[in-house]
Amino acid sequence: MGGRVRGEEKFFTLHPALPLLPQKSVHFPYAIIFRMLTLLRLALGLYFLGLTHSVLTVLRRRETFFWPAAFAMIAGFICQATAIGYRAYELQSFPVTQLYESFSLFAALAVPVFFIVYLKYRIPSLGVFAFPMIFLMTFMANMGYDQSDAIPAVLMSHWLYIHAPLVILGYVALFIAVSAAVLYLVQEHELKSKRPRMLYQRFPSLEVCDDLAYRSLAIGFPLMTLGMISGVLWAHMANWGPQWELDTKVLLSFFTWLIYLLLIHYRLIAGWRGKKAAYLAIAGFVGVLATFVGSTYYSGFHTFTQ
Amino acid sequence: MQLALIGVSHKTAPVEIRERLAFPSEKMRAALEALMERAKAGEAMILSTCNRVEIVAEGPSDELIRQFLYEYHRIGAEAVSDHLYCLQNADAIRHVFRVTSSLDSMMIGEPQILGQVKEAFRIANDAGTIGTNLSALMNRAFAVAKRVRSETGISQSAVSVSYAAVELARQIFRDLTGKTVMIIGASKMGELAARHLKRNGVSSVLVTNRTFEKAVEVAKVFDGAAIPFEHFTDHIDRADIVISSTGAPHFVITKPMAERIIKHRKNKPVFFIDIAVPRDIDPAVNEIDNVFLYDIDDLQQVIDANLKERLKEAHRAEEIIDGEVQAFCTRMQSREVVPTIVEMRASVEKQRHEEIERYRKKMKDFTPEQVAIVDQITESLVNKILHNPITQLKGMAHDPRGADFAETARKLFNIKPSSGPSGSEGTTGSTGRSSDDEPPV
Repeated sequence: MGGRVRGEEKFFTLHPALPLLPQKSVHFPYAIIFRMLTLLRLALGLYFLGLTHSVLTVLRRRETFFWPAAFAMIAGFICQATAIGYRAYELQSFPVTQLYESFSLFAALAVPVFFIVYLKYRIPSLGVFAFPMIFLMTFMANMGYDQSDAIPAVLMSHWLYIHAPLVILGYVALFIAVSAAVLYLVQEHELKSKRPRMLYQRFPSLEVCDDLAYRSLAIGFPLMTLGMISGVLWAHMANWGPQWELDTKVLLSFFTWLIYLLLIHYRLIAGWRGKKAAYLAIAGFVGVLATFVGSTYYSGFHTFTQ
Repeated sequence: MQLALIGVSHKTAPVEIRERLAFPSEKMRAALEALMERAKAGEAMILSTCNRVEIVAEGPSDELIRQFLYEYHRIGAEAVSDHLYCLQNADAIRHVFRVTSSLDSMMIGEPQILGQVKEAFRIANDAGTIGTNLSALMNRAFAVAKRVRSETGISQSAVSVSYAAVELARQIFRDLTGKTVMIIGASKMGELAARHLKRNGVSSVLVTNRTFEKAVEVAKVFDGAAIPFEHFTDHIDRADIVISSTGAPHFVITKPMAERIIKHRKNKPVFFIDIAVPRDIDPAVNEIDNVFLYDIDDLQQVIDANLKERLKEAHRAEEIIDGEVQAFCTRMQSREVVPTIVEMRASVEKQRHEEIERYRKKMKDFTPEQVAIVDQITESLVNKILHNPITQLKGMAHDPRGADFAETARKLFNIKPSSGPSGSEGTTGSTGRSSDDEPPV
């Protein structure tokens, strides 16, 4: 049905003229420097240092190079944020309508969120999960980048500014939750197996992992819910027809939402914590990945193609 | 600097020997004075702990120190000589660094030894037996110990049962403050573990014991509450950490009981420490979610792993010490070589001036230009003659034989022997400072 919508109204393209950009600016070196791709690649390189930290931490079973990695991540974030800003200027709109754009946004949001969590919890080992994910997302953003991409007309709406950021911020929070859950499971396994290794001493305590997993769920779930509601309202107002809810992504995200609802329920009502809650948080995030990344493979409004 | 170290330690001598050679702290001052006098030491220091007795002295031969040790303790040489080790210069420096860094300790990485060495140094300093050499050596040793501690993990992980328990509790709970610990069965080991937990923030202690009076007694020590043994199951839900060490032949805490506890606690985690033999807690308890059970063997396993880690780290510490010993030796040698060069130059220059003065009368008809030429010739001659010896000496500054070489040079040029940098005061002024950490040039 997505095809039908696209068939009705040709998306309009900005790229033939790029009227908002002075043509001659292409000749200025700074314009080249500030080209989104250059910045994105720079960010990717910096995030690679963060990735190195993660790999070394796991290989050497020791927390090393956290601060150099953290500075690299911050520098990478500045590059990426500038790139997104530049892209927004190029499009004169919010750059989240292409899949790679949303990946880029996810990565760019994950960095400050990681550091906010770090300020509160002092868990450098969370970087072992966060940095590779940020790298991967930026990597995919690099792969997919195409300057000529423009916003599909069907998505030209103020709702875009509400729906997309809410959902992506929710995903970031849920990503933190799943990282904490995995940390919990690793630590729990170490403690239960009684085969202590150096690494486990650098990991946060079970209580901290569980608390972080719960809190980020408590933030991520409402964001996701609001994001979905805004999507429903958007679909309703844009009069996308009666079958929008059969869009694969809509269905998948509804199932994901149900998993998280179940998790919240068990945590609040049955007093679940620790291992069981961690497993369910992982199941939930598998749903998030299926909805978020997997959307390339099915059709609908969320295919992010033109 | 001529450094000698004589000692016995837990590695070379049984306690019967060590205790006979020990210096009680109240007699330390007198012993130091006797040592200075009898062994004709320039500087000296005595370290006497339950694991080692060591004398470090600058100046005397080790034979003199041995004699002092035998005479002072009125002990026959044959009784102890096999147990004594005797080290010189670089070896002595290395030993001091290793001891201070806790690499020679019975429990590698234990922190007390540094304090003990510092105390021994303070006493010797008060007694006035520390000079520039020993003070340089010991200050460097303290710096090395600090480096070893911060750059390696040799004193990081717990190597005793009670510390291991605290460390594990920290891996489960965010913060021990506000947590409750219950001791089942008042045993010494249980008390020790509880004491460590309490010192690390645990706020309330519950004690239960078959004989209630004993429970009351132990509870008093911890400001805690005593609970009659028949009722302990009513209170166990409150405990985040349970230490069990009863003499019971059967399990005191069974799996169904633990399941009930965790249900009552709404899945809040609980840490069981079973240090009883035979065991008090059914090992199957560990299978329950949010319950963590460590028995005495599990704790021992943690400790063994930590010890292994410490030994690995000790290798890295030895590398640090190798480098430090070399750097320190070099520094000390250049401390002897450089003043020698300065004095050599000063002495020859002085002779040149004296000679010029002596011939002043004969030069009275000389024009100022001619006087200047004489001055130039003599100066150039002095420089030429001194050039080779000085280059050679400078080359020896980083050589282990540098000190001997400097000594020979002093004899050849008839420079008074110096005992370190302070010995050369008055000649140049550039070597008179007593700062220890900087090479003089």
